[in-house]
Amino acid sequence: MTSADIAAVYPEIIVTAVALIVLVADAILDRRRAALALPLLVIAGLIVALASVFYQVPATQYFRGFVTIDAFTSFFRGVFIILAIFAAAISPAYLARRGVPAGEYYAIICFSTVGAMTIALSADLITLFIGLETMTIPIYVLAGIQRTDRFANEAAIKYFLLGAFSSALLLYGFVWLYGITKATDFVTIAAFLTQQGIANGPTIVALALVTVGLGFKAAIVPFHQWTPDAYDGAPTPATAFMSVGPKAAAFAAILRVLLVALGPLVVDWSAVLAILAAVTMTGGNIVALAQTNTKRMLAYSSIAHTGYILAAVAAAKAGPSAGAAVLFYVFAYGLMNLGAFACLLYFDLEGTRGASLDELNGFGRRQPLGALAFAIFLISLTGIPPTIGFVAKFLVIQPVLDAGLAWLAVVIALNAVLAAFYYLRVVVRMYMYDVEEKEPRLVSGRTLSVSLGVASFAVIVLGILPNSIYEWALRAAQPLVR
Amino acid sequence: MTNVLSLLVVIPLAGLIPLFLFRRDERAAKQVAITTTFVELLVSLWMLTKFVPGEAGFQLVERVDWLPSLGIRYLVGVDGISVFLVPMTTLLTFISVLYSSGGAIKTRIVEYMTAFLLLEVGMVGVFVALDLFLFYIFFELMLVPMYLIIGIWGGPRRIYATLKFVIFTLAGSLLMLVGIVAVYLESADASGSRTLSLPELIELRGRFPADFQFWVFLAFALAFAIKLPMVPFHTWLPDAHVEAPTAGSIVLAGVLLKAGGYGFLRFGLPLFPIGVQAWLPVLIVLSVIAILYGAIVSAVQKDLKKLVAYSSVAHMGFVTLGIFVLNLQGGVGAVLQMLNHGFVTGALFLFVGIQYEKTHRRMIADLGGLANMWPLFTTFFGVFVFASLGLPGLNGFVGEFLVLLGTFGFSGAPPLGGLFWGPLAAIGVILAAVYLLWMFQRVMYGPVREAYRALPDLSRLEIACALPLLLLTVILGVVPQPFIAYIQPSLDRVIRLATDPSFVVVAFR
Repeated sequence: MTSADIAAVYPEIIVTAVALIVLVADAILDRRRAALALPLLVIAGLIVALASVFYQVPATQYFRGFVTIDAFTSFFRGVFIILAIFAAAISPAYLARRGVPAGEYYAIICFSTVGAMTIALSADLITLFIGLETMTIPIYVLAGIQRTDRFANEAAIKYFLLGAFSSALLLYGFVWLYGITKATDFVTIAAFLTQQGIANGPTIVALALVTVGLGFKAAIVPFHQWTPDAYDGAPTPATAFMSVGPKAAAFAAILRVLLVALGPLVVDWSAVLAILAAVTMTGGNIVALAQTNTKRMLAYSSIAHTGYILAAVAAAKAGPSAGAAVLFYVFAYGLMNLGAFACLLYFDLEGTRGASLDELNGFGRRQPLGALAFAIFLISLTGIPPTIGFVAKFLVIQPVLDAGLAWLAVVIALNAVLAAFYYLRVVVRMYMYDVEEKEPRLVSGRTLSVSLGVASFAVIVLGILPNSIYEWALRAAQPLVR
Repeated sequence: MTNVLSLLVVIPLAGLIPLFLFRRDERAAKQVAITTTFVELLVSLWMLTKFVPGEAGFQLVERVDWLPSLGIRYLVGVDGISVFLVPMTTLLTFISVLYSSGGAIKTRIVEYMTAFLLLEVGMVGVFVALDLFLFYIFFELMLVPMYLIIGIWGGPRRIYATLKFVIFTLAGSLLMLVGIVAVYLESADASGSRTLSLPELIELRGRFPADFQFWVFLAFALAFAIKLPMVPFHTWLPDAHVEAPTAGSIVLAGVLLKAGGYGFLRFGLPLFPIGVQAWLPVLIVLSVIAILYGAIVSAVQKDLKKLVAYSSVAHMGFVTLGIFVLNLQGGVGAVLQMLNHGFVTGALFLFVGIQYEKTHRRMIADLGGLANMWPLFTTFFGVFVFASLGLPGLNGFVGEFLVLLGTFGFSGAPPLGGLFWGPLAAIGVILAAVYLLWMFQRVMYGPVREAYRALPDLSRLEIACALPLLLLTVILGVVPQPFIAYIQPSLDRVIRLATDPSFVVVAFR
């Protein structure tokens, strides 16, 4: 381990340090002061980490080939840290209200972020698996952090059991890969598979196991059953984070494993992924249509968005534009989905879980700016310009058509119409239904409002001027193409 | 100054700032909205004076690299086809805002005006955008404000109507998005650089293979056909119109529907000549069905507003018929018909709204004898009804006459040539006279009803709203020639592009 190795992972070190400092500060500071100091500390620390992402180190391998630093790594590091900052900013009021231990909460988010960042820099199956587990285990805790809430307990145990199951499958797949190729690093695996040529029986088994394992992590239909319950049961700010951070990390893993290590088998997996993508978006949307609880509706809609992203992965043979579309969509999805879930925090009233559609009635009057932000996120999720969600859809359709999957592009378009139906139903409730008598007062936290304001503004501005993000994504997708 | 078109896009956006600052003061909000839309109207007229008639190409063009890594530009310009649609939009928006501020809208004025200004950005943008990406953004930008206008300020069944409107429109436009991306990918040259700029796409359209054109034109045509709307995609229209507030109906009928017809002329015909030929029989049959079906269904309507809504279906049938007979008379007629329909149907919806404000009745059976109480109302309304049914001397006649002329000259295969479709479409004109006159008679004549006796005639505000439309109706009817001189060269080029796939325009920009 040289000093160059250490310099390569500065961002991860900083985020870990932030997590540790938070735990110590939580122990030292008294309750009142901690409520204000902890989130500030986390956000400041994460901003430092974000700055360190742009500290350039030579794009090569470190730690004897276990770690690779390239534009792809930087992109995902940036995305994970931004999402963690956002998640930390929306939480304080909720944590105080519900008596959730704040120190642990923020530390868990940081630890999980370190795990996600480790996935992004992995050059080896082992690093990747460690990153995946470091990311997921804190999330199991996060889901059940409200120990006295039985729904949270159910969410945590479900998430944990299925997560453990899928990790085992994934690991088993990795073992098969190792058995076939005698290597665990992506480059050697890819070289071996290229030499081997056509996929044979064992390779197919390994590929299937890996796909199913990663499919669980990303919540691809039919491996999605844990998602709605876990998202629904977890505390709302945690749900907001869970729905984007781990999802983005899962796609980082999918890109690294499928495109880089298993790239030579692209013909074998891309057709399967295309079908899975169509099933995932359609399934997610159809079930979301039937939901009356907004939190569950957003949970299912996040499955649908997984399908759109997966469609771009399936179009990998279109070249860098496919990878760039995945990265851009992951970024856009993170911003708008986290924002949409965070808007539900306004409805965090005594004795309610999530927000039923009825509770949303007249939101536009009761909390005009909060409702406006929610409407912007929902319109972006629908894919209507001028929002970042529209640009993301445009960018996804492009490689899909380029790869000759015209049917999938049409499926995407029709699904967006389905999705419009339930997203706009929320807007209808907010603006077109009158407020009932003696509505309960809405909750609002200052940091929540500020971060929602920034995020909804970003959704619009980046929808009109997406060039910088797209170019960043395009650069980041280069290492995936060989 | 050459960036007058960008100015037109920006002014309504700029109006949002004072609107936000005065969000607690409804009077101020109304004044801000009226001023903004009036300035917008003046600038659009100024744009008209800068336009040089007699040239086919785009004028007042502005070009900025917008998404350089994707080859997408901010490219705007107008030609003879769009040069009148822009002032028509700004005029109708101004009238809508003016009328709404007179008391027709009672709740949430600030939000209402915000929606109208945003809508104006989209509507003006659609008619000036020359890059498909930009066009799509403006096309969709019209959607959300109209969705809110119908959904918040509409009638009892507004939520059903507005969701239907949005879902129909989105279904079409998202398929068009797939089509746009397909065009984008197909535009790649040897070096791999791609474009969505219309002038460049027209130059390289020879590269689009026949089956590609077949499918991609279908994707575009679906979006435009739903927006227009063509039968059988028209079912959202009566619901949306009936539930929309008066100003919403004016803009919906006057401007939003035109985006469909304009889309066919601007993008469908020039880019996919082979695709157009393949779908031509279907499109012509649907147009004629729309003319006849719209007229017949109008005749049996009990609701005054629904009658005007269905008459839109018939009138827009003339627009598509004029476009797809692919000759100069038909095309010029279609563009004129779009303008006429904008002014006349906009005015009809205005008067239905005024009438409803006074009597609170919209069922034809509940009305009658209005002529005796309201001489001014009767005069105005009468002129617009006669214009709508195509009386010579008023504008409706010119457009429909040219379309019919073009239809008779349509060079289709003998059994289904111009001599077959022309007479059928002409029946539509007769039917229009039947249902409109019958409606006018039932509503305006007959015994005066006691309940309405004390109701006042047109107010000064209402006259101010209707007068510009009346003048345009007469001017366009009496001296259409100057307008045709603006439209003809650009349209001629579009028709040549559509009928001759090998025709290449050099320096179209």
